[in-house]
Amino acid sequence: MKPKKIGIINYGVGNHSSILRSFENLNYRCIVSCAQSELTECSILVLPGVGAFPAAMSALVESKLDIYIKNKAREGIPIIGLCLGMQLFADISYENGITTGLGLIPGEVVPLIGKKYHVGWNTIKVVNDDEFISSSDQQSVYFNHSFVFDSPKEFIICTTEFDKSITAGIRKNNIVGLQFHPEKSQIIGQDMLKNLVERLSLHA
Amino acid sequence: MLKKRLIGVVTVRQGLAVQSFGYSRYMPLGKVEIVVENLNRWGADEILIQCIDRSKFKLGPDFNLLKRISSVGLSTPVIYGGGIRNVSDAVQVVNNGADRILLDAALWDSSNEIEFFSKALGSQALIANITITHRNGNLYWNNYRRDQIQLIETNFYEKNQLDCISEIMLTDMNNEGCNNSFDEKIIELFPSNEKSLILFGGLSEYNQIQRFLSKNNVVAVGVGNSLNYKEHALQKIKQNLKGIAMRTAQFNKSEK
Repeated sequence: MKPKKIGIINYGVGNHSSILRSFENLNYRCIVSCAQSELTECSILVLPGVGAFPAAMSALVESKLDIYIKNKAREGIPIIGLCLGMQLFADISYENGITTGLGLIPGEVVPLIGKKYHVGWNTIKVVNDDEFISSSDQQSVYFNHSFVFDSPKEFIICTTEFDKSITAGIRKNNIVGLQFHPEKSQIIGQDMLKNLVERLSLHA
Repeated sequence: MLKKRLIGVVTVRQGLAVQSFGYSRYMPLGKVEIVVENLNRWGADEILIQCIDRSKFKLGPDFNLLKRISSVGLSTPVIYGGGIRNVSDAVQVVNNGADRILLDAALWDSSNEIEFFSKALGSQALIANITITHRNGNLYWNNYRRDQIQLIETNFYEKNQLDCISEIMLTDMNNEGCNNSFDEKIIELFPSNEKSLILFGGLSEYNQIQRFLSKNNVVAVGVGNSLNYKEHALQKIKQNLKGIAMRTAQFNKSEK
């Protein structure tokens, strides 16, 4: 069987190499690129991100990748957002002011209430037995964030407990966002990524 | 529930992983890539790479080392410290493979810029390394490059703009590299705050690590030299911590 090709969107923000290695270790063909012509050859897109929302969104707009991602979402191409990449799917973020997001999944990015930083390994609880990540229920994964995606319940696929229950994963059709870092969550994360890619491929 | 973390600390000097004793004596361990690969396989919760000579000799961050480590394909979060002078350095460190950064020299040299580090990377990515000692009931923060010390007072956080930093690593400079010797007095004297603490220097024994991790504001401990002294040292620490919320030890099937 021809292996799937995954395109990691390079917009100059974050650490792409560990995501690339993760997919390569799973034997997927994978590229890191900012060129739309190259990304278009891929069956699944991954939007990574480390840092602050306004700088990341600004980089996407500057490279016109914001429009490209929205178009691909409309076409039904599967897109996985990781950490800040997931938050960019929101309508709006309140990090360092107010910034408009990609608007791919309804919701707002708001600061954590109480403890300000959610850093480390935490257990996720899968909601409504979502088929995309149901096998990862009650597994520990690595989080590193201070803002959280506040989305209507229907889009939340997993949560985690930190002072209160917060969003750990969201999904709308073929668009999946994970607040944690599966690429940095050792064997659990690898299994999760593999499962996600296989499921998304079935739905593409 | 958020777990407490066991951080594997790799001290790097002149590009090689070393065992350090009080940051004054060193024994070579070998290639950094090999050491971090082991920590990754053993299931460390995070790996801290601290390059101790980059700031002293104004070399900037070791990007080549970060690239070599990235090529290993670690699936464990990496914290990098060493030579970070400004926001641009910090962003490049992350782009080259680190998940978080440890600030040390920049806290002394660019303290008015810490806010900008946060705006670029988010405060969750920032850890302040406070190399610390105490004398006559007072705590002192040590600037190892200039033999300069600063008395740590109750206004420590505001004075040093540490609001924009998510965690503070307290490094017991006198006991770094020694077994079972982290000085508890440091925690007793350190001004209380909501900031989470990472402890490093002289932590090696199960009971000792358990005692410190039991404290509410201690979220992680760093262990360095002692991981090299016995087989499965990291996993055994995890196995022997009682009543601490922590990820379970990981063994390869062949290692059980």
